[in-house]
Amino acid sequence: MSSHNESILREPLITGKDITYAKITDDILLPVENKPNKAWWIGFIMAALGALLWVGSVSYTFWTGIGTWGLNKTVGWAWDITGFVWWVGIGHAGTLISAVLLLFRQNWRNSINRSAEAMTIFAVICAATYVVSHMGRPWLAYWIFPLPNQFGSLWVNFNSPLVWDAFAISTYFTVSLVFWYCGLLPDISSVRDRAAGLKRRIYSILSFGWSGSVKTWQRFEIVSLILAGISTPLVLSVHTIVSMDFATSVIPGWHTTIFPPYFVAGAIFSGFAMVQTLLLVMRKVLNFENYITMFHIESMNKIIMVTGSIVGIAYLTELFIAWYSGSEYEMYAFANRIAGPYAWAYWAMMTCNVISPQLFWFKKIRTSIPISWVLSIVVNIGMWFERFVIIVTSLHRDYIPSSWAMFYPTWVDVGIFVGSIGLFFTLFLLFLRFLPGIAIAEVKLLLKSASLQQKAKLIKEGHLDAGEVTYFKNSLTKYDSVTDEEIKELETK
Amino acid sequence: MDSNKNYWKGLEELQQTPAFVNKNKSEFAEPIPVEDVLNEAGLSTKTPRRDFLKALGFGVGAVTLAACNRTPVHKAVPYLIKPEEVTPGIPNFYASSFNGQSVLVRTREGRPILLEANPAAKGLNCGTDASTQASVLDLYDMSKLKGPKFHGTDTTWDELDTQVVTALEAANAAGKQIRIVSSTINSPSAIAAIARFTEKYPTAQLVEVDTVSYSGIIKANQNSFGKAVVPHYRFDNADVVVSIAADFLGTWLSGEEHTQQYISNRDYKSLKKGKMSRHIQFEGGLSLTGTNADVRIAVKPSEEGPLLIALYNEITGNTLAGALSSNAKAQTALKLVAQELKQARGKAVVVAGANDVAIQTLVNAINVALESYGATIDLDNPSYQFKGNDEAFASFLAEANRGAVDVAFFLNSNPLYDYYNTEVVKEALGKIKFKLSFADREDETASELDAIAPNHNFLESWGDAHPRGGYYTIVQPTINPVYNTRQVEHSVLLWAGEKTDYYAFVKNNWEQHILAGSSKTWKDVLQTGFEYKDEQPATAYSFDFSVLGNVANAIVTQSKGLAKDVEVQLYQSVALKDGKQGNNAYLHELPDPVSKVTWDNYAALNPKFAESLGLGENSLVEVEGENGYSVILPVLMQPGQAMGSVSIAIGYGRTKAGKAGNNVGQNAYPFVRLANGTLQFNTTAKLSKASGSYELAQTQTHHTIEGRNVIRETTFAKYKENPGHNAGKWTDSHKTYDLWNKYEQPGHKWVMAIDLNACTGCGSCIVACNIENNIPVVGRDEVRRRREMHWIRIDRYYAIEQDGAAYTKEDDINRLDDFENVSVVHQPMLCQHCAHAPCETVCPVLATVHSSEGLNHMAYNRCFGTRYCANNCPYKVRRFNWFNYWNDSRFDNYLNNEFTQLVLNPDVVSRSRGVMEKCSMCIQRIQAGKLKAKMEKRPLKDGDIKLACSSACSANAIIFGDANDPESEVSKALRNERVYYVLEEINVQPGIGYMTKVRNTYEA
Repeated sequence: MSSHNESILREPLITGKDITYAKITDDILLPVENKPNKAWWIGFIMAALGALLWVGSVSYTFWTGIGTWGLNKTVGWAWDITGFVWWVGIGHAGTLISAVLLLFRQNWRNSINRSAEAMTIFAVICAATYVVSHMGRPWLAYWIFPLPNQFGSLWVNFNSPLVWDAFAISTYFTVSLVFWYCGLLPDISSVRDRAAGLKRRIYSILSFGWSGSVKTWQRFEIVSLILAGISTPLVLSVHTIVSMDFATSVIPGWHTTIFPPYFVAGAIFSGFAMVQTLLLVMRKVLNFENYITMFHIESMNKIIMVTGSIVGIAYLTELFIAWYSGSEYEMYAFANRIAGPYAWAYWAMMTCNVISPQLFWFKKIRTSIPISWVLSIVVNIGMWFERFVIIVTSLHRDYIPSSWAMFYPTWVDVGIFVGSIGLFFTLFLLFLRFLPGIAIAEVKLLLKSASLQQKAKLIKEGHLDAGEVTYFKNSLTKYDSVTDEEIKELETK
Repeated sequence: MDSNKNYWKGLEELQQTPAFVNKNKSEFAEPIPVEDVLNEAGLSTKTPRRDFLKALGFGVGAVTLAACNRTPVHKAVPYLIKPEEVTPGIPNFYASSFNGQSVLVRTREGRPILLEANPAAKGLNCGTDASTQASVLDLYDMSKLKGPKFHGTDTTWDELDTQVVTALEAANAAGKQIRIVSSTINSPSAIAAIARFTEKYPTAQLVEVDTVSYSGIIKANQNSFGKAVVPHYRFDNADVVVSIAADFLGTWLSGEEHTQQYISNRDYKSLKKGKMSRHIQFEGGLSLTGTNADVRIAVKPSEEGPLLIALYNEITGNTLAGALSSNAKAQTALKLVAQELKQARGKAVVVAGANDVAIQTLVNAINVALESYGATIDLDNPSYQFKGNDEAFASFLAEANRGAVDVAFFLNSNPLYDYYNTEVVKEALGKIKFKLSFADREDETASELDAIAPNHNFLESWGDAHPRGGYYTIVQPTINPVYNTRQVEHSVLLWAGEKTDYYAFVKNNWEQHILAGSSKTWKDVLQTGFEYKDEQPATAYSFDFSVLGNVANAIVTQSKGLAKDVEVQLYQSVALKDGKQGNNAYLHELPDPVSKVTWDNYAALNPKFAESLGLGENSLVEVEGENGYSVILPVLMQPGQAMGSVSIAIGYGRTKAGKAGNNVGQNAYPFVRLANGTLQFNTTAKLSKASGSYELAQTQTHHTIEGRNVIRETTFAKYKENPGHNAGKWTDSHKTYDLWNKYEQPGHKWVMAIDLNACTGCGSCIVACNIENNIPVVGRDEVRRRREMHWIRIDRYYAIEQDGAAYTKEDDINRLDDFENVSVVHQPMLCQHCAHAPCETVCPVLATVHSSEGLNHMAYNRCFGTRYCANNCPYKVRRFNWFNYWNDSRFDNYLNNEFTQLVLNPDVVSRSRGVMEKCSMCIQRIQAGKLKAKMEKRPLKDGDIKLACSSACSANAIIFGDANDPESEVSKALRNERVYYVLEEINVQPGIGYMTKVRNTYEA
């Protein structure tokens, strides 16, 4: 393990006193190895009720028909595809954290990649349920794949972005799942090694016979890199293809070349917001403050700010191009977004996605946990509206004015959406209960280099520039997991 | 003799080698280890692993095969003895007629499924109106009676006959009156049958009364010319048409026939010849006819009479008192109109909608002054479609009230619903001893009477019609009576003691009277469906102008009576008309051509007027008539409606029509007045805002074109300068680039041309398409959710005119303060069968693909319902099956029973839930046409294939055909300079060309 000393100019990624490898394992496995607390039960029951609502609404739809939704002859997609794109977008942060940040050696990802990847998988599951449930005849959903079939040479339409989508999403899900599970192997074996009885047998099977030998670790590292390499293009490709569901159409407001980068930025934006939403709660409830520190929170807020700005520029570019195109229909589509019957949705989107992340220019806001948490939710509300604006506002008034119509959701639309959030949290809470929410092995890598106690040791050893030490001490003030005494201790030494 | 020859099979046998002898002992060459297996040891051996798998495989396979049950067969019973003329899969056509129009009834395996105009007929020979199209559904109506009823209980015909004859004889003996109350009967045979009846019962009398009456015209003609008839109008001879509140293209007299005549002076063929009539409409509510007028001026009902006086004065130079002085716009227009009419003397016609003797007398005077008689108005071959006399019914009621009537029969008559004063009717009925209705259902009146003798549907009946002078049509049955019903004429003859069956009666009547002296036989008539006889040359008539002083006084008095509170105009909706077909789901779901409202009637108010009353979209308004009757109606914002007036459709608010039609809308008949001897369809009322809100189910909620070039229009003057004016040939000035390969289409290339100048917007194509293609009816709630399933729709756009400019953008219109001047365009919109169809590229499973004949196909079985195609359709013509409409209790007003399902066209599958559908260009008809040509070993000719929509169009606005045939009608039409393609700039290469709308407006 890396034992070189990291500069104290870098902020510590692990705080707390007397952190040892054993303590890390103990801390992180606490929720896995003990009975769940009240907070978990409350959360789980609420989430499970939501999931039940989802089961109910989707079953009702399957039984009766898509007519139970608010769609009509003009607006053929609304909350369904809005929800789908929203969930797929949320999934993106997980892949970015696990793959891109790994390749770029951003060590701070080690504390958050596990839950971010879990989030990805659950989000993609939620998205996939929409893909199936929005179909008129969902029992034939498998027709989307080019399977050899009894109908002779009947094949899928490789021109259709929906086919690309099916490939993109299924590839994405598979790769994310494999990546996540490979990363879990050493940690599952940790659980296995500490467990007994049936639990041990189960985790033993789940650990795929992880032995912890040098060779195993070596292969683990290699497979991680390979999967990171495979996943990295997916970060870009999946949402690019999702955006092509719209961009390849002829509908004004959809037919836009800016969509791929704009969708990818939006996806990362919403994904990090969702990671933030989850982790801010998780670190508090599960006492992970020493592993998910203010540095992580601030870094993620910075990413949210950057991607939010990209998204904002994309919105403005769209407006400019609509005007610059001189196309009557294009201009109307955007004028209708700004001032049409769904203008409230547009302005909700603008406020949530463009204005709110700009608040993160202020360090105070960036490092405030409550504000970060609220803003992370605001961002995801905004991103939901973005998809709603793109889908519904473009469709409801397109070329032929006689067909212009409004879309009003039914309780089933709302039920499926709220239910999918329930489903997501059910899965996430089960994950926290049965699998380590932080990658134990990867966090341990940082203990001897990037932890506060390691840096304190360096300061104690003396040889450091006094200015650097002061800088380091100042940077610690924002940490909620570092007490003033701890900082003072550094001074006295 | 036994043969002792021995044949041996080989040397071994000959030589009987020991090996052979040994082998020959057993039956099989190789021993089968049966014994080994079946002995105790064999049975108890452990099954080896491989055998286990084999056994398992066999077992599973066998069980699977055993479980493969055959799909149960549902009543696909072939003919035991096949009728000679029926070939399953091949339709038979029978000539018949409906409302006097000669039609061909398409039957499949003994079921009538569609009506089409008889192309051989004179007069209306292409196209039918929506109610004719929809009438096949009435045959399969679940709400019909299944047999006769007496005092509310089922009975047999014999018992009923006894009761009726007893009552009749009692009345006869007592010298009491017997009355047959009916809407107009123009069937010669029925009249003959009734004559037999009156012979037997001398006190019997026929009382003809029409719900919507034209007795004003009849009486005016009686007064003016001594002929108590409704004339036959000839709009095809008119260069200038002026209509004062007559919806002559829609519901006035014979709308479709007028349409065919009128359009012949306005369609692309006429324009090509440089000819277009001018049509000026003065009216209160915006009617179908008003939307087609070149110039339309809003006038209130009270202004109609004074306007005619002014018009008369302008034309003749007389100075009748009481000329219009309250409407500056109309007065200015009048001067121009009068000039125009005078110039077009002999080629002009003035019609008025009011059912008022004075007004119609003045119209007669104007038409005589314009020399219209003999040219545009034919009094010598008059129309017999409406002969009803409003006074006759009133005197019947008085007679009954006196107790003079003992027996009354009601045929096509439902006065407890559609008479303005049901109290009087109830009272009168109470004094009649025996009352019987021939209604096919327990309607509002029939349910209150003693007996019901349900009549056949016209598709089950023999009969005939005499719709106008010199023209006779036949009605022949196309199906055995479904229920235990009996034809009225049969009943009447039976009660008169005649035992001849009605078929023989009709046949005799024709042979003795109508066919007498002609070389045609009865069989010929059954084949052709009609006969012309004794047609008179139309002649001119003179008029005694001295009576006009009194007439003008009467008009002025009437007008003053109307000019108070809010003036109410009662009109028939184009779909439902007088409400007789009130249980017809197709008609309820047919959007009103103007308002696009389905499943309701409403109070149409000018938006500015509504605003002044504090009413808005979705408001409810209470309309309280001068007779105290009041209803609460939803408000419709109707541009073009005269300020200070409200239009309400009659024919709604039935309470006993049947499952689909009960309680749809409100009954407006009680607002009708009986004044000056005629039923007047206007009155005054007080309007007040009612609490609550109500959303009308409209198929179109955005009413303007937003300045888009989807509609391209020009004026006749500009057209004459440049026929291609404003057609905006986009492709001439733009180079297009293709992503896709070009494919040869060597065979056929099916395309369409739609003439925007011909389409009146009536919507009969919509109903025809519904019937032909089994398109589900979805009901009011689903239409509100914007989910109607129509494959073809008619888009209607308003342009509001103010200060000489026409505004089509919502933002501009919101700033206007006058909504009376409106110009309207109707655009039939259906799948454009784009060569570069955006729907085709996005379907993930290739459920929608292009054919080599240029059609955009829909493979229902392959569709799994992502709806991407519908989203990506720029024309929004794709329709999704949100539910299983034919098998879902929520859609109970349509196909949810096996009986009504008989109306389905067997050539078209009914679609399941979750599947997209859209116009197929009647692919089944194309295939049938091609097959027929192939069987006859000849190439397909233009006109062999007609689509449901185009054959229902009496204006010939939809032209279908093969673009690869340069001589086809459609190819010629598409070479027209006026042709443009909707949204051609997005290069989807639509297959339907539209021709610009041309308005013959006054040039400023």
